[in-house]
Amino acid sequence: MIALQTGKSLGLILCLECRATVRALDVRYPRCPRCHAHLHPRKPHSLALTTALLLCAAVLYIPANLLPVMYTRTVFDEEKDTIMSGVLVMLHSGSWPIAVLVFVASIVVPMLKILALVVVLFSAWRGSARYRTQRSELYRMVEFIGRWSMLDVYAISLLVALVQIRSLASVAVGWGALAFGAVVVLTMVAARTFDERLLWDPPP
Amino acid sequence: MSALIVCPSCDLAHCIGAAPSKERTVCARCGGLLQRAENGNIDAAIALAVSALVLFAFSNAYPLVAIQSNGSGRATTLLGAALGLYRQGHTLLASLVFFTTIAAPFLQITSLLYLLLPLRRRREAPGQRIVFRLLTRIRPWIFVEVFMLGALVALVRLAAFARVVPGVALWSCALLMFTLTALTSRTSPGQFWRWVEDRRA
Repeated sequence: MIALQTGKSLGLILCLECRATVRALDVRYPRCPRCHAHLHPRKPHSLALTTALLLCAAVLYIPANLLPVMYTRTVFDEEKDTIMSGVLVMLHSGSWPIAVLVFVASIVVPMLKILALVVVLFSAWRGSARYRTQRSELYRMVEFIGRWSMLDVYAISLLVALVQIRSLASVAVGWGALAFGAVVVLTMVAARTFDERLLWDPPP
Repeated sequence: MSALIVCPSCDLAHCIGAAPSKERTVCARCGGLLQRAENGNIDAAIALAVSALVLFAFSNAYPLVAIQSNGSGRATTLLGAALGLYRQGHTLLASLVFFTTIAAPFLQITSLLYLLLPLRRRREAPGQRIVFRLLTRIRPWIFVEVFMLGALVALVRLAAFARVVPGVALWSCALLMFTLTALTSRTSPGQFWRWVEDRRA
């Protein structure tokens, strides 16, 4: 088998900010000649940072789903909605495409994201050589779909702003929404601190 | 003449031609994106940025949606969504909504104009490198398209018990979403520095 040449084996560093290919110099803190960003052959402390952020996200995923995200008060009663009960309300009121959309964006996507990041993190840590292409694709999918989970946070913020009709009806935010927003942000940052090139590096 | 570039996804080295590619090239090993097709017209990028700025102004100046129920009504703007959360004591959540729907798009548009307008006259803006790095940091946090989908969900939920009237800002926000997508794809980091190097040559 022909040994493939990589940036690392040739002494080339890719600047992650401006995508310039830079010949690695023998200085302590190299900077990109084009945009002056700090250069690292691999993202520093990638595995440790991603693991820490992912753990936080996984812990916060529990209150995000159990705590109410929204309280609706009308003259007749007061209701609290978690993310899941919000989906069920929409399903019963007949708007099933919206219910499916919210279910996928708020429940399926965050869970898949956490699981997918665990998979790529574990295989990068083990230096596994199998299914590399699939894992690379999985990681890129996580980066792509990550942002869509914020959908429910925006929907709630609009409901809060609109439904304040004096004594008739009002909507208040619950702490579940903050936990949920935190899960989305933490998983996004976790995906960004992960260096996908670690999936391809030959074991030392 | 050819140059060596490495794949950002798997670090494999590739030999490429010196001319900018007309179509997207992907890595031979992992399928990651190496180079996108660049539409290298700086005027088109500036035009898009200016229209994005106008649409952004519209999206903030006019109400997004209004509801009417039993004779009383209420409207909200884009800022109102973040303000409503802030008033209920959820400062963190309010700043997240404010940053991703208002501050980040505004910073992207203005910093791009700050960089591109002098470049068109063959000059370089002071602090070009710092503004460029700020721009690449902000980009992943622009959530206008997600906000639009969230607004759709909110409208459907509200339509069950009130009359919902879409405002001017809802339409301009939808247009802003497409303009921002086009702007981002036309001003990739590689493209931006190619413009800079063309001006220097």
